[in-house]
Amino acid sequence: MSTFFLVIGLGLCILVFFVLYRVVFGPGVFNRIAAISAIGTKTLIILLIMGFVYGRVEMFVDISLVYALLNFIGVLAASKFLEMEKEL
Amino acid sequence: MIRSSEDIIIRTVSRVLVPFIQLFALYVIAHGHYSPGGGFQGGVILGASLVLLLITYGPRETRKHISEKSVTVFSSLGVLIYSGIGFICLLLLGNYLDYGKLSGLLHVAPAEARSLGILGIEIGVGITVMAIMFSIFFDISSGGKPPEDEKE
Repeated sequence: MSTFFLVIGLGLCILVFFVLYRVVFGPGVFNRIAAISAIGTKTLIILLIMGFVYGRVEMFVDISLVYALLNFIGVLAASKFLEMEKEL
Repeated sequence: MIRSSEDIIIRTVSRVLVPFIQLFALYVIAHGHYSPGGGFQGGVILGASLVLLLITYGPRETRKHISEKSVTVFSSLGVLIYSGIGFICLLLLGNYLDYGKLSGLLHVAPAEARSLGILGIEIGVGITVMAIMFSIFFDISSGGKPPEDEKE
């Protein structure tokens, strides 16, 4: 079962790089923000899978909850910053 | 200048989410010695909940919940708790932050006194970090202007 989770985690790690392409070259800012949000979600799942691999899920659930909260607030703050930029 | 957001999704989500974020921050502070986290991390999460409030409802509404004066009081209160516990240990003929000496004061075994002392330290650190995080974000987002100039 551990190998299964390891393979899934590595697959998700590779998928992050596809989204990273959108962050670096993506046309426009909104693509980048959406891609950063997607990377955050993927990181959350990778953290949980790491918890399964190490056999300490209850510890990693805390970290991933914090990660989800900060991801939400970060995306919101970035959108707010863009809104302010438009006014200037 | 951050304006309050009119979007109903953001307003509702953050109104529902802020109490849960703060509850989770208290959990992180209280369970700092069993699970990842501690005073600093819990304080950052508490500060993030206030930042979410500021992003969503704007500076004027947020100032009603946590004023300039209370930010100052909280940021000093945490340092006072930290150094106060340290000095109590010093007065009880131990080293600075030597929690084992608190056992006579709290009427518990030295090992439990150490656990309680670390918990007190983490509460102090959490309060300070919360206030400073919010203060930094508020001052940067308002461009360093005093709050009177924000009323436009």
